Amino acid sequence: MAINENDARAVANLARLELGETAGQVADPARLKALVDEFSKIVAYMDILNGAPTEGVEPLYSPMTDPLPPRADEPARDGQKADELLGQAPERVGRYFSVPRIF
Amino acid sequence: MTDIHRLGLRQTAQALQAREFSATDAVSAALERIRLTEPRIGACVTVLGESALREAKLLDESGPDPARPLWGVPLAVKDVFDLKGAPTTAGSRLLENYFPAFEATVVERLRAAGAIFVSKANCDEFAMGSTTEFSAYGPTKNPWDPALVPGGSSGGSAAAVAALQVPGAMGTDTGGSIRQPAALCGCVGLKPTYGRVSRYGIVAFASSLDQAGPFARSVGDVALLLSVIAGPDGKDSTCSARPVDDYLNLKEPKAADLTLGLPDALWSAGFEPSVDEALSAAKKALTDAGVRLKSVSMPNLRYSVATYYILAAAEASSNLARYDGVRYGQRAEGDPELVALYRRSRSQGLGPEVRRRIMLGTFVLSSGYYDAYFKKAAQTRRLILGDYQRALGECDYLLAPVTSIPAWPLGSFTDDPLTIYQLDMMTLPLNLAGGPGLSLPAGLSSAGLPVGVQLWGPSFGEAGLLSAGALLERIFPPVGPPPMAG
Repeated sequence: MAINENDARAVANLARLELGETAGQVADPARLKALVDEFSKIVAYMDILNGAPTEGVEPLYSPMTDPLPPRADEPARDGQKADELLGQAPERVGRYFSVPRIF
Repeated sequence: MTDIHRLGLRQTAQALQAREFSATDAVSAALERIRLTEPRIGACVTVLGESALREAKLLDESGPDPARPLWGVPLAVKDVFDLKGAPTTAGSRLLENYFPAFEATVVERLRAAGAIFVSKANCDEFAMGSTTEFSAYGPTKNPWDPALVPGGSSGGSAAAVAALQVPGAMGTDTGGSIRQPAALCGCVGLKPTYGRVSRYGIVAFASSLDQAGPFARSVGDVALLLSVIAGPDGKDSTCSARPVDDYLNLKEPKAADLTLGLPDALWSAGFEPSVDEALSAAKKALTDAGVRLKSVSMPNLRYSVATYYILAAAEASSNLARYDGVRYGQRAEGDPELVALYRRSRSQGLGPEVRRRIMLGTFVLSSGYYDAYFKKAAQTRRLILGDYQRALGECDYLLAPVTSIPAWPLGSFTDDPLTIYQLDMMTLPLNLAGGPGLSLPAGLSSAGLPVGVQLWGPSFGEAGLLSAGALLERIFPPVGPPPMAG
Protein backbone atom coordinates (compact mmCIF):
# COMPACT_ATOMS: atom_id res chain seq x y z
CA MET A 1 0.00 0.00 0.00
CA ALA A 2 1.01 3.62 -0.49
CA ILE A 3 1.85 5.73 2.55
CA ASN A 4 1.04 9.44 2.63
CA GLU A 5 2.45 12.15 4.86
CA ASN A 6 -0.28 11.80 7.47
CA ASP A 7 0.24 8.04 7.73
CA ALA A 8 3.98 8.54 8.13
CA ARG A 9 3.44 11.17 10.83
CA ALA A 10 1.13 8.83 12.75
CA VAL A 11 3.70 6.03 12.62
CA ALA A 12 6.53 8.36 13.64
CA ASN A 13 4.47 9.48 16.60
CA LEU A 14 3.82 5.89 17.70
CA ALA A 15 7.52 5.14 17.27
CA ARG A 16 8.47 8.22 19.28
CA LEU A 17 10.55 9.53 16.40
CA GLU A 18 10.63 12.91 14.73
CA LEU A 19 9.86 12.86 11.03
CA GLY A 20 12.52 14.99 9.42
CA GLU A 21 12.23 17.83 11.92
CA THR A 22 15.24 18.68 14.05
CA ALA A 23 14.84 19.47 17.72
CA GLY A 24 11.23 20.52 17.27
CA GLN A 25 11.85 22.69 14.18
CA VAL A 26 9.51 21.90 11.28
CA ALA A 27 11.01 19.68 8.58
CA ASP A 28 12.17 21.04 5.28
CA PRO A 29 9.34 20.07 2.83
CA ALA A 30 11.69 18.43 0.30
CA ARG A 31 13.32 16.34 3.01
CA LEU A 32 9.96 15.35 4.45
CA LYS A 33 8.70 14.31 1.03
CA ALA A 34 11.83 12.22 0.43
CA LEU A 35 11.37 10.45 3.77
CA VAL A 36 7.69 9.73 3.15
CA ASP A 37 8.37 8.51 -0.40
CA GLU A 38 11.14 6.22 0.77
CA PHE A 39 8.96 4.78 3.53
CA SER A 40 6.09 4.30 1.10
CA LYS A 41 8.39 2.47 -1.35
CA ILE A 42 9.62 0.09 1.37
CA VAL A 43 6.07 -0.67 2.54
CA ALA A 44 4.94 -1.18 -1.07
CA TYR A 45 7.67 -3.79 -1.58
CA MET A 46 6.29 -5.80 1.35
CA ASP A 47 3.06 -6.32 -0.59
CA ILE A 48 4.85 -9.12 -2.45
CA LEU A 49 3.63 -11.27 0.46
CA ASN A 50 0.09 -10.97 -0.88
CA GLY A 51 1.06 -13.79 -3.23
CA ALA A 52 2.17 -16.17 -0.46
CA PRO A 53 -0.17 -19.16 0.01
CA THR A 54 -0.76 -18.70 3.75
CA GLU A 55 -4.40 -19.79 3.99
CA GLY A 56 -4.74 -21.81 7.22
CA VAL A 57 -1.00 -21.62 7.97
CA GLU A 58 -0.11 -21.24 11.66
CA PRO A 59 2.15 -18.19 12.20
CA LEU A 60 5.73 -18.95 13.27
CA TYR A 61 6.99 -16.40 15.76
CA SER A 62 10.11 -18.24 16.94
CA PRO A 63 12.18 -21.05 15.44
CA MET A 64 12.73 -22.52 18.91
CA THR A 65 11.00 -25.89 19.31
CA ASP A 66 12.63 -26.99 22.57
CA PRO A 67 10.68 -26.47 25.78
CA LEU A 68 11.76 -23.32 27.61
CA PRO A 69 11.84 -24.36 31.25
CA PRO A 70 11.45 -21.51 33.74
CA ARG A 71 14.27 -20.80 36.17
CA ALA A 72 14.00 -21.85 39.80
CA ASP A 73 12.04 -19.17 41.67
CA GLU A 74 15.00 -17.90 43.63
CA PRO A 75 16.24 -14.31 43.87
CA ALA A 76 19.40 -13.56 41.93
CA ARG A 77 22.41 -13.13 44.19
CA ASP A 78 24.57 -11.23 41.74
CA GLY A 79 22.50 -8.04 41.74
CA GLN A 80 23.25 -5.05 43.93
CA LYS A 81 23.98 -3.06 40.81
CA ALA A 82 21.44 -0.27 41.28
CA ASP A 83 24.07 2.43 41.55
CA GLU A 84 25.97 1.18 38.53
CA LEU A 85 22.75 1.04 36.48
CA LEU A 86 21.48 4.42 37.64
CA GLY A 87 24.91 5.82 36.87
CA GLN A 88 24.17 5.28 33.15
CA ALA A 89 21.19 7.65 33.22
CA PRO A 90 21.58 11.09 31.64
CA GLU A 91 19.90 12.53 34.74
CA ARG A 92 19.14 11.01 38.12
CA VAL A 93 17.96 12.19 41.49
CA GLY A 94 19.10 9.91 44.27
CA ARG A 95 17.90 6.42 43.46
CA TYR A 96 15.50 7.60 40.74
CA PHE A 97 15.67 8.33 37.03
CA SER A 98 14.78 11.96 36.47
CA VAL A 99 12.45 13.13 33.65
CA PRO A 100 10.80 16.46 32.81
CA ARG A 101 7.30 17.22 34.08
CA ILE A 102 4.64 15.21 32.31
CA PHE A 103 1.71 17.60 32.96
CA MET B 1 58.30 -14.08 16.72
CA THR B 2 57.23 -11.33 14.33
CA ASP B 3 54.85 -13.71 12.60
CA ILE B 4 52.58 -14.61 15.52
CA HIS B 5 49.75 -12.70 13.82
CA ARG B 6 49.88 -15.10 10.85
CA LEU B 7 49.07 -18.15 12.96
CA GLY B 8 45.55 -19.51 12.97
CA LEU B 9 43.57 -19.77 16.18
CA ARG B 10 44.39 -23.38 17.05
CA GLN B 11 48.03 -22.88 16.10
CA THR B 12 48.21 -19.83 18.35
CA ALA B 13 46.57 -21.72 21.22
CA GLN B 14 48.92 -24.71 20.82
CA ALA B 15 52.04 -22.54 20.64
CA LEU B 16 50.94 -20.70 23.80
CA GLN B 17 50.37 -23.97 25.65
CA ALA B 18 53.82 -25.15 24.52
CA ARG B 19 55.33 -21.87 25.77
CA GLU B 20 56.72 -21.08 22.32
CA PHE B 21 55.71 -17.53 23.13
CA SER B 22 53.91 -15.87 26.02
CA ALA B 23 50.39 -14.46 26.28
CA THR B 24 52.03 -11.02 26.42
CA ASP B 25 53.82 -11.77 23.12
CA ALA B 26 50.53 -12.86 21.53
CA VAL B 27 48.65 -9.79 22.73
CA SER B 28 51.51 -7.44 21.78
CA ALA B 29 51.60 -8.95 18.28
CA ALA B 30 47.85 -8.39 17.91
CA LEU B 31 48.09 -4.80 19.15
CA GLU B 32 51.00 -4.08 16.81
CA ARG B 33 49.01 -5.53 13.93
CA ILE B 34 46.03 -3.34 14.88
CA ARG B 35 48.33 -0.30 14.97
CA LEU B 36 49.63 -1.09 11.48
CA THR B 37 46.37 -2.00 9.74
CA GLU B 38 43.76 0.05 11.56
CA PRO B 39 44.36 3.31 9.66
CA ARG B 40 43.49 1.46 6.44
CA ILE B 41 40.55 -0.70 7.56
CA GLY B 42 38.97 0.80 10.69
CA ALA B 43 37.84 -2.52 12.19
CA CYS B 44 37.80 -1.39 15.84
CA VAL B 45 35.51 0.92 17.80
CA THR B 46 37.62 0.48 20.94
CA VAL B 47 41.09 -1.02 21.26
CA LEU B 48 41.52 -2.62 24.68
CA GLY B 49 45.32 -2.29 24.75
CA GLU B 50 45.86 -1.63 28.43
CA SER B 51 43.46 -4.22 29.85
CA ALA B 52 44.61 -6.85 27.33
CA LEU B 53 48.26 -6.43 28.31
CA ARG B 54 47.33 -6.49 32.00
CA GLU B 55 45.34 -9.71 31.57
CA ALA B 56 48.18 -11.26 29.53
CA LYS B 57 50.67 -10.45 32.28
CA LEU B 58 48.45 -12.14 34.85
CA LEU B 59 48.14 -15.24 32.68
CA ASP B 60 51.89 -15.36 32.10
CA GLU B 61 52.51 -15.22 35.83
CA SER B 62 50.51 -18.40 36.40
CA GLY B 63 51.60 -20.14 33.16
CA PRO B 64 49.67 -22.07 30.51
CA ASP B 65 46.70 -24.14 31.63
CA PRO B 66 45.77 -27.15 29.45
CA ALA B 67 42.21 -26.98 30.84
CA ARG B 68 41.80 -23.55 29.20
CA PRO B 69 41.72 -24.15 25.42
CA LEU B 70 42.05 -20.45 24.52
CA TRP B 71 44.72 -19.63 27.09
CA GLY B 72 46.35 -16.34 26.02
CA VAL B 73 44.62 -16.16 22.62
CA PRO B 74 43.76 -12.59 21.53
CA LEU B 75 40.21 -12.12 20.22
CA ALA B 76 37.95 -9.32 18.99
CA VAL B 77 34.23 -9.08 19.83
CA LYS B 78 31.62 -7.18 17.90
CA ASP B 79 30.64 -4.08 19.81
CA VAL B 80 27.22 -5.48 20.69
CA PHE B 81 28.62 -7.86 23.32
CA ASP B 82 28.77 -6.49 26.86
CA LEU B 83 32.26 -6.64 28.24
CA LYS B 84 33.05 -5.04 31.59
CA GLY B 85 35.33 -2.03 31.53
CA ALA B 86 34.60 -0.90 27.96
CA PRO B 87 31.61 0.87 26.42
CA THR B 88 29.14 -1.22 24.39
CA THR B 89 28.29 1.24 21.63
CA ALA B 90 26.50 -1.12 19.21
CA GLY B 91 27.82 1.24 16.54
CA SER B 92 25.43 3.91 17.82
CA ARG B 93 26.06 7.48 18.89
CA LEU B 94 23.28 6.97 21.42
CA LEU B 95 25.35 4.42 23.39
CA GLU B 96 28.70 6.19 23.09
CA ASN B 97 29.14 6.31 26.86
CA TYR B 98 27.26 3.18 27.86
CA PHE B 99 29.33 1.03 30.23
CA PRO B 100 27.51 -2.25 30.88
CA ALA B 101 27.02 -3.47 34.42
CA PHE B 102 26.93 -7.08 33.17
CA GLU B 103 29.10 -9.21 30.95
CA ALA B 104 27.72 -11.29 28.05
CA THR B 105 27.68 -15.05 28.67
CA VAL B 106 29.71 -15.54 25.47
CA VAL B 107 32.36 -13.13 26.76
CA GLU B 108 32.41 -14.82 30.18
CA ARG B 109 32.88 -18.25 28.60
CA LEU B 110 35.66 -17.12 26.29
CA ARG B 111 37.37 -15.39 29.20
CA ALA B 112 37.05 -18.51 31.36
CA ALA B 113 38.68 -20.46 28.51
CA GLY B 114 41.64 -18.07 28.72
CA ALA B 115 40.93 -15.70 25.80
CA ILE B 116 42.03 -12.08 25.97
CA PHE B 117 39.93 -9.40 24.28
CA VAL B 118 41.97 -6.86 22.36
CA SER B 119 39.20 -4.94 20.62
CA LYS B 120 35.50 -4.18 20.32
CA ALA B 121 34.83 -4.52 16.61
CA ASN B 122 32.92 -2.05 14.48
CA CYS B 123 29.44 -2.87 13.16
CA ASP B 124 26.39 -1.30 11.60
CA GLU B 125 24.35 0.56 14.21
CA PHE B 126 22.44 -1.99 16.31
CA ALA B 127 23.62 -4.61 13.76
CA MET B 128 21.23 -3.16 11.15
CA GLY B 129 23.02 -3.09 7.84
CA SER B 130 24.95 -5.15 5.35
CA THR B 131 28.06 -3.01 4.86
CA THR B 132 29.23 -1.61 8.25
CA GLU B 133 28.71 1.83 6.71
CA PHE B 134 25.86 2.51 9.14
CA SER B 135 28.20 2.70 12.12
CA ALA B 136 28.27 6.05 13.89
CA TYR B 137 32.04 5.53 14.23
CA GLY B 138 32.78 5.49 10.51
CA PRO B 139 32.83 2.66 8.00
CA THR B 140 35.09 -0.37 8.16
CA LYS B 141 36.91 -1.11 4.91
CA ASN B 142 37.58 -4.40 3.19
CA PRO B 143 41.15 -5.66 3.81
CA TRP B 144 41.24 -6.95 0.21
CA ASP B 145 40.65 -3.44 -1.12
CA PRO B 146 39.98 -0.49 1.20
CA ALA B 147 37.77 1.14 -1.44
CA LEU B 148 35.27 -1.70 -0.90
CA VAL B 149 32.87 -2.57 1.90
CA PRO B 150 33.71 -5.52 4.17
CA GLY B 151 30.06 -6.53 4.37
CA GLY B 152 28.05 -6.34 7.54
CA SER B 153 26.79 -5.96 10.01
CA SER B 154 29.73 -7.75 11.70
CA GLY B 155 32.15 -6.15 9.21
CA GLY B 156 34.66 -5.12 11.87
CA SER B 157 34.94 -8.69 13.19
CA ALA B 158 35.42 -10.13 9.68
CA ALA B 159 37.92 -7.45 8.66
CA ALA B 160 39.90 -7.88 11.90
CA VAL B 161 40.26 -11.62 11.25
CA ALA B 162 41.06 -11.18 7.54
CA ALA B 163 43.62 -8.43 8.18
CA LEU B 164 45.37 -10.72 10.72
CA GLN B 165 44.65 -8.41 13.67
CA VAL B 166 43.28 -11.41 15.58
CA PRO B 167 43.01 -15.15 14.84
CA GLY B 168 39.33 -15.21 15.83
CA ALA B 169 36.40 -12.92 16.57
CA MET B 170 32.77 -12.94 17.64
CA GLY B 171 29.87 -11.56 15.69
CA THR B 172 26.11 -11.83 15.54
CA ASP B 173 23.94 -12.98 12.66
CA THR B 174 20.31 -11.82 12.47
CA GLY B 175 19.95 -11.97 8.69
CA GLY B 176 23.44 -12.89 7.50
CA SER B 177 25.62 -10.54 9.53
CA ILE B 178 28.27 -13.22 10.16
CA ARG B 179 28.09 -15.22 6.93
CA GLN B 180 28.05 -12.31 4.48
CA PRO B 181 31.06 -10.33 5.83
CA ALA B 182 32.98 -13.62 6.22
CA ALA B 183 32.38 -14.27 2.51
CA LEU B 184 33.31 -10.74 1.40
CA CYS B 185 36.48 -10.73 3.54
CA GLY B 186 37.57 -14.29 2.74
CA CYS B 187 37.27 -15.88 6.18
CA VAL B 188 35.11 -18.53 7.81
CA GLY B 189 32.00 -17.60 9.79
CA LEU B 190 29.40 -19.71 11.56
CA LYS B 191 25.83 -18.83 12.46
CA PRO B 192 24.87 -21.47 15.01
CA THR B 193 21.34 -22.81 15.40
CA TYR B 194 18.98 -20.37 17.13
CA GLY B 195 19.24 -21.36 20.80
CA ARG B 196 22.68 -23.01 20.63
CA VAL B 197 24.51 -19.95 22.00
CA SER B 198 23.30 -17.65 24.77
CA ARG B 199 22.16 -14.18 23.77
CA TYR B 200 22.55 -12.84 27.32
CA GLY B 201 24.45 -9.55 27.40
CA ILE B 202 24.19 -8.97 23.65
CA VAL B 203 22.40 -5.83 22.47
CA ALA B 204 19.11 -7.13 21.05
CA PHE B 205 18.07 -6.38 17.47
CA ALA B 206 15.46 -9.04 16.55
CA SER B 207 15.13 -11.56 19.33
CA SER B 208 13.69 -14.47 17.34
CA LEU B 209 16.47 -14.18 14.74
CA ASP B 210 19.64 -12.98 16.55
CA GLN B 211 22.36 -15.55 17.15
CA ALA B 212 26.00 -15.09 18.15
CA GLY B 213 28.77 -16.96 16.40
CA PRO B 214 32.47 -17.08 15.59
CA PHE B 215 34.78 -15.91 12.80
CA ALA B 216 38.21 -17.43 12.15
CA ARG B 217 40.46 -18.39 9.25
CA SER B 218 39.57 -22.10 9.13
CA VAL B 219 36.63 -24.37 9.84
CA GLY B 220 38.49 -26.14 12.65
CA ASP B 221 39.25 -22.81 14.33
CA VAL B 222 35.60 -21.81 14.19
CA ALA B 223 34.69 -25.21 15.66
CA LEU B 224 36.99 -24.62 18.63
CA LEU B 225 35.36 -21.25 19.36
CA LEU B 226 31.88 -22.78 19.09
CA SER B 227 32.84 -25.52 21.54
CA VAL B 228 33.65 -22.81 24.10
CA ILE B 229 30.57 -20.61 23.65
CA ALA B 230 27.80 -23.19 22.98
CA GLY B 231 25.49 -24.60 25.60
CA PRO B 232 22.65 -23.93 28.01
CA ASP B 233 22.55 -20.67 29.97
CA GLY B 234 20.20 -20.00 32.85
CA LYS B 235 20.30 -16.31 31.94
CA ASP B 236 18.72 -16.81 28.48
CA SER B 237 15.44 -18.72 28.45
CA THR B 238 15.66 -19.21 24.67
CA CYS B 239 19.04 -20.92 24.97
CA SER B 240 18.51 -24.66 24.48
CA ALA B 241 19.14 -27.15 27.29
CA ARG B 242 20.39 -29.75 24.77
CA PRO B 243 23.86 -31.09 25.50
CA VAL B 244 26.63 -29.76 23.27
CA ASP B 245 28.13 -32.14 20.68
CA ASP B 246 31.85 -32.70 20.24
CA TYR B 247 33.01 -30.10 17.70
CA LEU B 248 36.70 -30.82 18.18
CA ASN B 249 36.94 -34.33 16.77
CA LEU B 250 35.10 -33.84 13.51
CA LYS B 251 34.45 -36.93 11.42
CA GLU B 252 34.91 -35.65 7.90
CA PRO B 253 32.52 -37.38 5.49
CA LYS B 254 33.81 -39.05 2.32
CA ALA B 255 33.14 -36.86 -0.72
CA ALA B 256 31.42 -39.75 -2.49
CA ASP B 257 28.98 -40.15 0.42
CA LEU B 258 27.97 -36.49 0.44
CA THR B 259 24.93 -35.07 -1.35
CA LEU B 260 24.47 -31.30 -1.30
CA GLY B 261 21.19 -29.68 -2.26
CA LEU B 262 21.27 -26.44 -4.27
CA PRO B 263 18.23 -24.25 -3.44
CA ASP B 264 16.84 -23.41 -6.88
CA ALA B 265 15.53 -19.99 -5.88
CA LEU B 266 19.02 -18.86 -4.87
CA TRP B 267 21.13 -20.43 -7.62
CA SER B 268 18.86 -19.07 -10.33
CA ALA B 269 19.01 -15.53 -8.95
CA GLY B 270 21.64 -14.25 -11.40
CA PHE B 271 25.20 -13.39 -10.44
CA GLU B 272 27.73 -10.76 -11.37
CA PRO B 273 30.04 -12.51 -13.92
CA SER B 274 33.15 -12.80 -11.72
CA VAL B 275 31.06 -14.31 -8.90
CA ASP B 276 29.27 -16.60 -11.33
CA GLU B 277 32.61 -17.85 -12.62
CA ALA B 278 34.00 -18.49 -9.12
CA LEU B 279 30.81 -20.27 -8.01
CA SER B 280 30.83 -22.47 -11.13
CA ALA B 281 34.47 -23.37 -10.46
CA ALA B 282 33.55 -24.23 -6.86
CA LYS B 283 30.71 -26.50 -7.98
CA LYS B 284 33.02 -28.18 -10.50
CA ALA B 285 35.68 -28.75 -7.82
CA LEU B 286 33.02 -30.44 -5.66
CA THR B 287 31.71 -32.73 -8.39
CA ASP B 288 35.28 -33.55 -9.49
CA ALA B 289 35.96 -34.64 -5.91
CA GLY B 290 32.90 -36.92 -6.02
CA VAL B 291 30.36 -34.81 -4.13
CA ARG B 292 26.85 -35.15 -5.53
CA LEU B 293 25.02 -31.89 -6.21
CA LYS B 294 21.29 -31.75 -6.85
CA SER B 295 18.86 -28.93 -7.28
CA VAL B 296 16.19 -28.68 -4.57
CA SER B 297 12.98 -26.72 -4.84
CA MET B 298 12.38 -23.97 -2.25
CA PRO B 299 9.62 -21.90 -3.86
CA ASN B 300 8.81 -19.77 -0.82
CA LEU B 301 12.31 -18.28 -0.61
CA ARG B 302 11.07 -15.62 -3.00
CA TYR B 303 9.24 -14.17 0.01
CA SER B 304 12.30 -14.19 2.29
CA VAL B 305 13.26 -10.54 1.96
CA ALA B 306 9.79 -9.18 2.72
CA THR B 307 9.17 -11.75 5.46
CA TYR B 308 12.46 -11.00 7.13
CA TYR B 309 12.28 -7.23 6.94
CA ILE B 310 8.76 -7.18 8.38
CA LEU B 311 9.56 -9.53 11.26
CA ALA B 312 13.02 -8.16 12.03
CA ALA B 313 11.78 -4.56 11.90
CA ALA B 314 8.81 -5.39 14.15
CA GLU B 315 11.05 -7.02 16.74
CA ALA B 316 13.56 -4.18 16.46
CA SER B 317 10.93 -1.49 16.97
CA SER B 318 9.96 -3.22 20.18
CA ASN B 319 13.52 -3.91 21.38
CA LEU B 320 14.69 -0.38 20.65
CA ALA B 321 11.81 1.26 22.53
CA ARG B 322 14.13 1.21 25.54
CA TYR B 323 16.39 3.90 24.03
CA ASP B 324 14.39 6.85 25.27
CA GLY B 325 17.00 9.20 26.71
CA VAL B 326 15.92 8.35 30.26
CA ARG B 327 17.64 5.22 31.54
CA TYR B 328 20.79 5.32 29.47
CA GLY B 329 22.22 6.84 26.36
CA GLN B 330 22.03 10.45 25.35
CA ARG B 331 19.28 12.88 26.17
CA ALA B 332 18.31 15.72 23.84
CA GLU B 333 19.10 19.20 25.10
CA GLY B 334 16.44 21.83 25.78
CA ASP B 335 14.31 20.16 28.46
CA PRO B 336 11.14 19.70 26.38
CA GLU B 337 8.12 17.87 27.80
CA LEU B 338 8.41 14.09 28.15
CA VAL B 339 7.10 12.80 24.80
CA ALA B 340 9.07 15.45 22.91
CA LEU B 341 12.11 14.42 24.93
CA TYR B 342 11.69 10.82 23.82
CA ARG B 343 11.22 11.82 20.20
CA ARG B 344 14.15 14.22 20.14
CA SER B 345 16.55 11.96 22.04
CA ARG B 346 15.77 9.00 19.81
CA SER B 347 15.93 11.02 16.59
CA GLN B 348 19.25 12.61 17.53
CA GLY B 349 20.83 9.43 18.87
CA LEU B 350 19.71 6.92 16.25
CA GLY B 351 20.97 6.86 12.67
CA PRO B 352 18.87 6.83 9.48
CA GLU B 353 18.83 3.05 8.89
CA VAL B 354 17.77 2.31 12.47
CA ARG B 355 15.03 4.95 12.26
CA ARG B 356 13.82 3.46 8.96
CA ARG B 357 13.49 0.02 10.52
CA ILE B 358 11.78 1.31 13.65
CA MET B 359 9.28 3.09 11.39
CA LEU B 360 8.62 -0.05 9.36
CA GLY B 361 8.36 -2.21 12.47
CA THR B 362 5.99 0.21 14.18
CA PHE B 363 3.83 0.34 11.05
CA VAL B 364 3.52 -3.45 10.64
CA LEU B 365 2.59 -3.85 14.31
CA SER B 366 0.09 -1.00 14.33
CA SER B 367 -3.63 -1.45 14.62
CA GLY B 368 -5.19 -2.16 11.25
CA TYR B 369 -1.99 -3.44 9.64
CA TYR B 370 -0.92 -6.18 12.07
CA ASP B 371 -2.74 -9.03 10.30
CA ALA B 372 -1.90 -7.89 6.78
CA TYR B 373 1.81 -7.51 7.45
CA PHE B 374 3.11 -8.94 10.75
CA LYS B 375 0.90 -12.02 10.99
CA LYS B 376 1.14 -12.62 7.25
CA ALA B 377 4.96 -12.54 7.48
CA ALA B 378 4.91 -14.95 10.45
CA GLN B 379 2.78 -17.33 8.37
CA THR B 380 5.16 -17.01 5.42
CA ARG B 381 8.01 -17.73 7.84
CA ARG B 382 6.45 -21.12 8.49
CA LEU B 383 6.25 -21.77 4.73
CA ILE B 384 9.97 -20.95 4.45
CA LEU B 385 10.73 -23.30 7.36
CA GLY B 386 8.72 -25.99 5.55
CA ASP B 387 10.78 -25.49 2.38
CA TYR B 388 13.96 -25.71 4.43
CA GLN B 389 12.98 -28.94 6.18
CA ARG B 390 11.72 -30.57 2.98
CA ALA B 391 14.88 -29.61 1.08
CA LEU B 392 17.11 -31.04 3.82
CA GLY B 393 15.12 -34.26 3.59
CA GLU B 394 16.40 -34.68 0.03
CA CYS B 395 20.12 -34.23 0.73
CA ASP B 396 22.71 -34.07 3.53
CA TYR B 397 23.24 -30.30 3.55
CA LEU B 398 22.19 -27.33 1.48
CA LEU B 399 24.81 -25.39 -0.45
CA ALA B 400 24.00 -21.76 -1.21
CA PRO B 401 25.79 -18.69 -2.53
CA VAL B 402 26.30 -15.89 -0.01
CA THR B 403 26.11 -12.82 -2.24
CA SER B 404 25.29 -12.31 -5.89
CA ILE B 405 27.93 -9.61 -6.32
CA PRO B 406 31.50 -9.25 -4.99
CA ALA B 407 32.40 -6.70 -2.29
CA TRP B 408 31.18 -3.36 -3.65
CA PRO B 409 32.53 0.19 -3.42
CA LEU B 410 31.75 2.15 -0.26
CA GLY B 411 28.75 4.43 -0.68
CA SER B 412 27.17 2.44 -3.54
CA PHE B 413 23.78 1.83 -1.96
CA THR B 414 23.64 3.94 1.19
CA ASP B 415 20.75 5.98 -0.25
CA ASP B 416 18.91 2.96 -1.62
CA PRO B 417 17.74 0.85 1.32
CA LEU B 418 15.45 -1.44 -0.66
CA THR B 419 18.22 -2.54 -3.04
CA ILE B 420 20.49 -3.34 -0.15
CA TYR B 421 17.72 -5.31 1.61
CA GLN B 422 17.32 -7.37 -1.56
CA LEU B 423 21.07 -8.13 -1.58
CA ASP B 424 20.48 -10.06 1.66
CA MET B 425 18.24 -12.63 0.01
CA MET B 426 20.85 -15.42 0.08
CA THR B 427 21.37 -15.30 3.84
CA LEU B 428 17.97 -14.35 5.36
CA PRO B 429 16.11 -17.67 4.87
CA LEU B 430 18.37 -19.47 7.34
CA ASN B 431 17.59 -17.04 10.17
CA LEU B 432 13.88 -17.38 9.47
CA ALA B 433 14.21 -21.19 9.67
CA GLY B 434 16.53 -21.02 12.69
CA GLY B 435 19.11 -23.53 11.45
CA PRO B 436 22.91 -23.38 11.47
CA GLY B 437 24.96 -22.06 8.55
CA LEU B 438 28.65 -22.08 7.79
CA SER B 439 30.14 -19.54 5.39
CA LEU B 440 33.52 -20.39 3.91
CA PRO B 441 35.66 -19.09 1.06
CA ALA B 442 35.20 -20.98 -2.20
CA GLY B 443 38.07 -19.24 -3.96
CA LEU B 444 39.06 -15.93 -5.51
CA SER B 445 37.21 -14.30 -8.38
CA SER B 446 39.01 -13.27 -11.55
CA ALA B 447 39.11 -9.80 -9.98
CA GLY B 448 41.11 -11.19 -7.06
CA LEU B 449 38.32 -10.88 -4.50
CA PRO B 450 37.10 -13.66 -2.21
CA VAL B 451 33.85 -15.44 -3.07
CA GLY B 452 32.09 -17.48 -0.41
CA VAL B 453 29.54 -20.24 -0.21
CA GLN B 454 27.41 -21.33 2.72
CA LEU B 455 26.35 -24.74 3.96
CA TRP B 456 23.04 -25.04 5.78
CA GLY B 457 22.24 -27.94 8.05
CA PRO B 458 19.51 -29.21 10.32
CA SER B 459 18.93 -27.48 13.66
CA PHE B 460 21.54 -28.44 16.26
CA GLY B 461 23.50 -30.31 13.57
CA GLU B 462 26.63 -28.14 13.93
CA ALA B 463 28.99 -31.11 14.36
CA GLY B 464 27.98 -32.61 11.02
CA LEU B 465 27.87 -29.21 9.35
CA LEU B 466 31.41 -28.36 10.46
CA SER B 467 32.64 -31.82 9.37
CA ALA B 468 31.22 -31.31 5.89
CA GLY B 469 32.66 -27.79 5.93
CA ALA B 470 36.11 -29.17 6.72
CA LEU B 471 35.86 -31.41 3.66
CA LEU B 472 34.79 -28.51 1.44
CA GLU B 473 37.61 -26.41 2.80
CA ARG B 474 40.12 -29.01 1.55
CA ILE B 475 38.42 -29.23 -1.86
CA PHE B 476 38.27 -25.47 -2.51
CA PRO B 477 41.45 -23.54 -3.34
CA PRO B 478 42.77 -21.64 -0.30
CA VAL B 479 42.30 -17.86 -0.53
CA GLY B 480 45.07 -16.99 1.93
CA PRO B 481 45.38 -13.58 3.57
CA PRO B 482 44.64 -10.43 1.54
CA PRO B 483 47.54 -8.78 -0.31
CA MET B 484 47.71 -5.98 2.29
CA ALA B 485 48.78 -8.59 4.84
CA GLY B 486 52.12 -8.63 2.96
